[in-house]
Amino acid sequence: MDTLRFLANQAAEAGWLSESFSYAFMVNALVAALLVGPLLGGLGTLVIAKRLAFFSEAVGHAALTGIAIGVLLGEPPENPIIGLFCFCMIFALLLHFVRNRTAVPYDTLVGVFLAVALAGGAALLMYVARKINIHMLENVLFGSILTITDFDLLVLGLSCLLIIVGLMFTFNRILLASISPDIAKVRGYNTHFYDYLFVMMITLVTIAAVKIVGAVLVGALLLIPGATARLMTKNMGSFVLLSSLLATLSCIIGTLLPMELKWPIPSGASIILVAASFFLVATFTRIVGRK
Amino acid sequence: MGPAIILNDVSLRYENNIILEKVTATLGAGQCHVVMGPNGGGKTSLLRSILGLTSFKGDIQFQWQESKGKIGYVPQKATFEPSLPLTVLDFILLNQSRSPLFFNFNKKHKVKALQQLARVGMEDRALFRMGQLSGGEQQRVLFAQALLDDPDLLVLDEPTNGMDDQGVRYFESLIDELVKENKTIVIVHHDISAVRRLRATVHVVNGVLIESGAAEEVLKPSKIERLFNHYRHHSSQPKSEVA
Repeated sequence: MDTLRFLANQAAEAGWLSESFSYAFMVNALVAALLVGPLLGGLGTLVIAKRLAFFSEAVGHAALTGIAIGVLLGEPPENPIIGLFCFCMIFALLLHFVRNRTAVPYDTLVGVFLAVALAGGAALLMYVARKINIHMLENVLFGSILTITDFDLLVLGLSCLLIIVGLMFTFNRILLASISPDIAKVRGYNTHFYDYLFVMMITLVTIAAVKIVGAVLVGALLLIPGATARLMTKNMGSFVLLSSLLATLSCIIGTLLPMELKWPIPSGASIILVAASFFLVATFTRIVGRK
Repeated sequence: MGPAIILNDVSLRYENNIILEKVTATLGAGQCHVVMGPNGGGKTSLLRSILGLTSFKGDIQFQWQESKGKIGYVPQKATFEPSLPLTVLDFILLNQSRSPLFFNFNKKHKVKALQQLARVGMEDRALFRMGQLSGGEQQRVLFAQALLDDPDLLVLDEPTNGMDDQGVRYFESLIDELVKENKTIVIVHHDISAVRRLRATVHVVNGVLIESGAAEEVLKPSKIERLFNHYRHHSSQPKSEVA
């Protein structure tokens, strides 16, 4: 990372890159964007195929409670990763476990779990507020890509590697298990395993992306690039690749734009607004194209 | 050679509803078997029990001739969202290979998938979205999917639903071909004249096994009305038959 930051600094001084790249945090932010963008975009296509948009949103919101628990248990307020990881994983796995054993419609169940997690988080924040400056939570809620540290990048890189390797071997089976679970079972695939595996991937990428996009908005970055790519592609391969490209572009432009234009906007908000503008253009183009 | 399937006292309930009660039958190896009966008679449940897709009481055994072979399955209905860009080719590749759809550059995979689609007359629809196909066309693709691994046992749940005449002809010629290859085929079917053409062993199910035997014997005009009555035949002594 030091070499990369040095090179970026040199390039900025030579005038090849914008002045922003002379700052170490900007280089960190862009590396984080390049790591998390393709992953969120790629996984987002499965989120759409499996109709799990509301679920991914709920996991993002549960992150708030996880952070509160982490801080209360003595973790550093700027990076309570163990509380965040444990709570989100338990939340997601428990939700899926209950789903498989009840006749309650899935969206209703997600709504109940989401409400409980948010209420729990709101209650715990009262205690957390005594320990830390409550404004630090803005970083958690709406993202603060410019405060990414080398440790964050390491966690992010490892999470991304884990998920990409997992996806290369399981993408087809996860998709088949959601489109036609019976065919998948007859083929000998353990559909429950693939369901849980996907839930764990979503949870992991959500946790890894909280610092970049924020707990409130991470679900949106799983969804919007995929929704845009769905309007523009004709097969699954290009759907995944375009979604990854759009998510990555959203992360990069959403990070650079406020910096270059000196707009005081949280990174999460600007990234999502860029992603949403792609979606609006794609939707508009499609509407016009049909006329 | 496909397996023989031996059902022994197979019973199935959903909450308080008795779906199947003590069905005992042997589905002979390398033959075509058609399961018929009125709506709600438990035909699909019987198929799902054979495939292990639902829990049941009793025992179902597969007697494979050598080692355990492959099973192909065409479900009664699969729902494909029209807006999802999942093409017919994607769907076949998904079932055929582990290489992720976004990273599958193997031309052999695509050639094999297109050959399978050609077997059911769907190669010209390879780039259509699954959700855009008619019900009959989707059934043909599902049939191509079931044939992918050259299965020894083929289980088909109302495979010709929504199919046009051309689709039905493709289907019947393929079944003929597969029976000649000694595959075991189990089909849920409604169309009596189509079943007669298949020259299959027919099993009539309505909660219990009503009758089993050769199609021309079981589907005699004098018997049909009695066999397909919609009221439930619940007997404490289910009929057992060796096919």
